[in-house]
Order: sequence, then structure tokens, then C-alpha cells
Amino acid sequence: MHLVLANYFPVLVFLAIALGIGGAMVGGSMLVARQMPYAEKVSAYECGFEAFGDARRRFDVRFYLVAILFIIFDLEVAFLFPWAISLGRIGLFGFFSMLAFLGVLTVGFIYEWCKGALEWE
Amino acid sequence: MISASAFFFYLFSAILLASAAAVVTSRNPVHAVLFLILAFFNAAGLFLLAGAEFLAMILLIVYVGAVAVLFLFVVMMLDVDFVQLREGVQKYAPVGAAVGAVLFGELWAVVLGWQVSPGADSLQGSPTPANMDNTHALGQVLYTDYVYLFQVSSLILLVAMIGAIVLTHRRREGTRRQNITMQQTRSVRDTLETLQVRMGAGVQELGILRPRPRAEPAEEEPRHEHAAGDH
Amino acid sequence: MHDFFFNTLVGHVLLVMGETLAVLVPVLMLMAYSTYFERKALGAFQLRRGPNRVGPFGLTQPFADAVKLLFKETIIPAGANRLLFLMAPAITFVLACMAWAVIPTFDGGAVADINVGILYLFAISSLGVYGIVVAGWASNSKYAFLGALRSAAQMISYEVSIGFVLVCVILCAGSLNLNDIVRAQKNLWYCVPLFPMFVVFLVSMLAETNRAPFDLPEGESEIVAGFFVEYSSMAFGLFFLGEYTNMLLMSALASILFLGGWQAPFGLSFIPGVVWLLLKICMFMFFYFWVRATFPRYRYDQLMRLGWKVFLPLSLGWVVVTAGFLEVFHMLPGESM
Repeated sequence: MHLVLANYFPVLVFLAIALGIGGAMVGGSMLVARQMPYAEKVSAYECGFEAFGDARRRFDVRFYLVAILFIIFDLEVAFLFPWAISLGRIGLFGFFSMLAFLGVLTVGFIYEWCKGALEWE
Repeated sequence: MISASAFFFYLFSAILLASAAAVVTSRNPVHAVLFLILAFFNAAGLFLLAGAEFLAMILLIVYVGAVAVLFLFVVMMLDVDFVQLREGVQKYAPVGAAVGAVLFGELWAVVLGWQVSPGADSLQGSPTPANMDNTHALGQVLYTDYVYLFQVSSLILLVAMIGAIVLTHRRREGTRRQNITMQQTRSVRDTLETLQVRMGAGVQELGILRPRPRAEPAEEEPRHEHAAGDH
Repeated sequence: MHDFFFNTLVGHVLLVMGETLAVLVPVLMLMAYSTYFERKALGAFQLRRGPNRVGPFGLTQPFADAVKLLFKETIIPAGANRLLFLMAPAITFVLACMAWAVIPTFDGGAVADINVGILYLFAISSLGVYGIVVAGWASNSKYAFLGALRSAAQMISYEVSIGFVLVCVILCAGSLNLNDIVRAQKNLWYCVPLFPMFVVFLVSMLAETNRAPFDLPEGESEIVAGFFVEYSSMAFGLFFLGEYTNMLLMSALASILFLGGWQAPFGLSFIPGVVWLLLKICMFMFFYFWVRATFPRYRYDQLMRLGWKVFLPLSLGWVVVTAGFLEVFHMLPGESM
């Protein structure tokens, strides 16, 4: 078999077996337990009140900002991984190249900090 | 009988194409994003089959783990009005169709005129080294041979960071922030005042009724801060 | 026999399935008993007895709970998206199980011994957000949605510092393979030289699994139960399973990255590596319970500040310090080659 495929095949097996276990548990429960839904039971929980308004509505823009900043730092981490394992072979030049990269992003980080984008009230 | 890797290649490709089609056709935007995620997964599977383990994992970490989360946030929280959308479709359909036709024509011209250069293999900048895995191989060239591109990518990220803040960040009025330095540097003397109170003397008589009248704003400050910080 | 398992396709598939079950079944058993031990431990912290009715010392309590959940009605709210509503707990549970494929239990003993094992785990943990966000959205309930949003923002915030911590460990080990990382700790566990990162990882691991004191997404007092408020029966059970399996996973990851995984301490190598790994996992699980019994819940703005303003700069700075130190003293792995 293909070498990479042989390495990753167990992952697929894990996926299949975990799906099987999960499906069997939920399905089994739906089979053996009596299902008696009625309007009050299947209404959304809202402290005993009648639900008002739709739950899916606009939300604070701050959550988007967190997600965007996360993408940027995630990419930074992604750049760090190959650097970390080959630092021994690319020597000082590679080290300083990464320092410059991190330096530029630190400028951005300081900008965020000063703008108060990291604060949550 | 086809080999196992060929089987998985066709399996991943088929699911990739089907889910990509579902992204554009599904009516519910949340379903569309979920199909997009399925497409990313299968693309990662194809990367794996090509032996590019690092790229496959980065695809999952960056695109599925971060970019698609943002997409999901956006489509879940911006309540898209479908009726309005549908009206818009009718209004903009002719323009859209014209742009689509031009694009399609151009793509078609490119596909017709396409031919693979005969010496394509020898044009590769850095051939994959045989005796190491591709994460090492990437690390050996990315930070030294391609240092300018690498630095440019940091600038792009910087622009993205600043752009995101400029576009989305607003300081809201009427909210309280915790100021740690202020909390830590308060001393007992600023907030507490010990008084000798005579028996039977009222608060008004002694002038210690709180809050004090508006005339002395300096005295009011610590109280306000106390309420904000002490949870 | 050997020939059948290693050289034919069917044999290979059967072998891998056997290995998978040999990992998953103990993990699920461990998960069931960690709920029992959590209740016992919390009981002890609060001078109670904890569960002691079902079976000797209450030992069959987890199974009684499972059977009870199985016979409960699965309520799907009227406004919910039925398919996604049932898919969300499955996503959480399946991801938590899949991650175990790469955990090495003894020297060379991972079911899938892949080159980029640590990236795989990082990817899986970053996907964990989906189960929660999809659950919150599909329930079509305000509490669930708010809880899901909080939870997602919290998880992605702490993931950044986890990423930097991983980079520190990789710098020292010089490989992305989990087995190699464990082998590199033969003489010195990384919790000693990377102690600050060990602390950052321990705290981030609490936030990543939404556990106390960072359990705001399910803060009972304000948003009832967060993203799974509408769930009942086995669908709830799967979330529960997923949460505990994730805790076990983070414990295993912490032992592999910082406590030498299957390496035996003090030269006690006659005890097999699996036992050591299990002991280390149990230690971290106890850490979870201990923290839960000790600390009050954080406030949300404090939680975000800790992640973005303390852990992020600290771990990023430590990456530079570690790399600089290794570079100056020529201790980088692979340098002598």
C-alpha cells in the first residue's frame, strides 16, 4: 500500500468506529425510549416564559474581531512550525529572518493593544 | 482492481466536487459553510495522498479551524433576509449573467490555449529532497531562500490586522472597564474614613451623609471605581 | 498468521480495527470512571461521600447513569434544525475519539504513527469549536446561542497560546512526531526547562475544554447550561462523553509534551510505559477536579484578557527566548548533523 496512506489509514478507521459508536448510542436511545413530544415540551427554553423573538439575530461585532485576530495569529503559528524543526540547519540567518517576521507582527500586536481591541467590557 | 490510493483519490475527489457544488446550490447559508468545510476536508485528504502532510494539516488548522469559523460566525449572526435577497436576484440577474458570460468566455479561451511546457519538471525552483519529510524540506528553504516573500507575508498579515481593527473596532459608550492598575494602587486612605461618632448624633449633623452633594466631585471618584472593580 | 495480518489488505484492515478498539475501549472506560472519580473527589473536597449507592462503593454508578440517559426521551426543539441538532454532539464525540489515533502509548506504539502528529492534534483541537457552534445555532435558543458564541471565542483565544507552547516544545525536540518528542525527553522532561510554558499550557487546557474556572459557556447562574441547554438523553450524553474524552486527551497531550509520555521516571523502566502514561493522565485529571473544587468562575472580560494580554505575549516571547538560547549554546536538535 501507499506509504502515506498506510500511515493515515487508522485515522479513517477511528473516524468510522467513533461514528458507529455515536450513531448507535443516539439511535439506540431514540429506539428504546418512548418519544412523546408535544408543543410545550419542544419549545425553546426561556426561563418559563414564552420565547420572544428569534434566537438567530445580529451579534456583537467584537466576536468577529476575535475571530479575525485568531486567523492572523494562527497563520503566525503555522509559519513557526517548519521553522522550529529546521532551525538547527538554517542557522543564524533563519533565526533572524523569523525575528524580523515576528517583529513586524509584534508592531501589529502593540497597535491592537493600544487601540483597545483586546479589551472586553 | 484499482489500487487503494487510486480508490481514495477518486473517493476524495468525488466528495470534494459534490460538496463544492452543494456550497453554491444550498439555500441555507449555514449549510453552505458546512459543505465548504467538508470540501476542505477532502482537499486535505488529496494533499495527503500527494504526500504533502504539512500542507494537509495546515489546510485543516488555518482554513477549517480558523477561516471557516469566521464564515460560520458571519452567516450565523448576520440575519440574512431571504425575501430581500430573492428580490435582489431578479434585479441584478442580467448584470450578473453578463459578467458571468464574459468570465466564462475568458476562462474558455485560457483552457483552449493551454499547453504544458515540455520542460516543466526542470523548471521547479527547489525539487523535493528525497531523504526528509516535507515539513523539514519546507523549513530549509522558506526562511532563507525565499526570505523576501516570507517578509512580505508578515507585512500582509500586519495590514490584515490593522485593517480588521480599523474596520470593526468601536469604543462603546456607557460600558465600564476594569482598570487593574487603579485597583491595585488604591490605598485604604483613599476609600476609608474613620470617624468618632457621638451618641445620638445624626448623619446630617455630622456631615457624613453619602453620597456627598455634587459640590465635591473629588470625593465621589473612589466610590464609583469601587463599584466597577469589586466583583 | 503474521503473514495474513501484515501482507493482505483484509488482514491489515482487521488489524487496524483491532488496534483502534484496543485504544478506544480503554479510553471510554477511563472516561466513564473519571466521572465517578470526579464526583468522589468533589465529595471529598466538600466533606461528603460522593456516589456510594450503586454497587460496592458506588462503582457501577457510571453505567447506571448511562442506562438512565439511554432510556430518556430525545427532545428536539420545534424551531431546531433537526439534522444539525443531532450532528453537533456527534461532531464533538467523533473528534475527541479521532485524536487518540496518534497518541503513543509505548515506544513506537501509536496506532497511526504519523510524521506530523502534533499538527494533527492541533488541527483536531481547533475543530472542536464546530460541535459547540453548530449545537448553539441548531438549537435555535438564545441561551444556547450565547453560550456557543462565548465558548467559541474562548476556545479560539486560548488556542493561539497553545500553538506557541507547542512551538516551544518542537524547538527543543526538533520533530513533529509525538514519539520523537517523547524520546527527546529521555534525560530531561520538558516541564523543567520549559516550566513557564508548562503552566501556560495547564491553564489553557482548562480553557480549551471549557472547564472550571473557565466554564463560562455553561455558567449555570447566567445562561443556564450554555450551548447544550436544549439537549437531552443520549444526545446530551454524547456531549458529556466528548467533554470528558477531550479532558483525557488534553491530559495525555500534557504528559507527552511535558512529562515524558511513556518514559519512566527515576529509572523505573521495568514498569511498562502504558502504566506510566496512564498514571500521568490520571494525575492531570485529578488536577482538573482539584481546580474545579478550588477556584471560583472567572469573569468573561478577565478570561479574554488573560488569554490575549498575558498568555499570548508571554508564550510568544518564550518562543524567541527558547530559540535564542538554543541557537547561542548550539543545542538545537539536528545542528550536529
